Amino acid sequence: MALLDMNRYARQIKLSQIGIPGQETLARSRVLIAGAGGLGSLSSLYLAAAGVGHLVIVDNDRVELSNLNRQLVHGEASLGTPKTASAADRLGRLNSAIQITPAQVMIEEKSIDGLLEGVDLVVDGCDNYPTRQVLNRACLRHTLPWVFGGVQGFDGMITSFVPGSSPCFECIFQDPTINPGTSPQNNGILGATAGMIASIQAMEAIKLLLGIGNPLTNRLIKISGLTMRITTTTLAPNPDCKACSPHRAKKRR
Amino acid sequence: MIIQFNGLTETIPEGLNISELIKFFGEGDPHVIVEQNGRYIYPKNYDTCKVMENDRIEFINPNLGG
Repeated sequence: MALLDMNRYARQIKLSQIGIPGQETLARSRVLIAGAGGLGSLSSLYLAAAGVGHLVIVDNDRVELSNLNRQLVHGEASLGTPKTASAADRLGRLNSAIQITPAQVMIEEKSIDGLLEGVDLVVDGCDNYPTRQVLNRACLRHTLPWVFGGVQGFDGMITSFVPGSSPCFECIFQDPTINPGTSPQNNGILGATAGMIASIQAMEAIKLLLGIGNPLTNRLIKISGLTMRITTTTLAPNPDCKACSPHRAKKRR
Repeated sequence: MIIQFNGLTETIPEGLNISELIKFFGEGDPHVIVEQNGRYIYPKNYDTCKVMENDRIEFINPNLGG
């Protein structure tokens, strides 16, 4: 490892669970950030700062003024520009030693397999059910872990879906008509809400990449910001799940 | 009987299942996630899953914004 990197990452290399081998693993890792909004903005900053070697930032929107209360990877100078270009510029200025690939496309069936090529892990920053469903099924096909996060108002939730070791997104969220929290009547959110969930997502991503600690597989955390009530729910695969049951059956055979 | 509901002590009628508990508390979110004693309860089990004395029940409203 270069002396410059030893210095940059010194405070995390000191952690016995990371050390130089862990740092080198992070440098070899490729993570897809699915959405450069409230969650993806902040998780990508932490992962870039931590030295994840390759970040693929996927989004199809442009930066709007109303994004800036929470989407802290963007700034006023980026208004009107593609979010992926804005994020790549900011992340590149934070850490010029890592590779950042902006992908200004929608996550959908026809794009997802190409986007996941070479990826080790996905961090969710989507804002709706259908995109997460596409992501979930692709991660099941490619046996890729993904760190789910969802936010609304002062509240957020998080869990990690690891194919073969946990339920999948569609085990837990079964109804595609579920309120995404982004309808015009219901889309208020405090920036710090996205911040607290995105920080946990970045922590989980690093744990999963390095195989350290106890990841949030089979546990769903819900944080209510107004009351600071935090609940942890134990999850189990749904035997009737149409998305992951066939994969589990294939694995048993 | 007494249960812990969303962190508070509540008195509910005996013999309710989860579907009846949702109605009892007037929960309006059709996508609410129900946790009983720390475990996720699948919606298909709401009618058969009984609420017992001293159960810890949480109603969790999903957040899917990003």
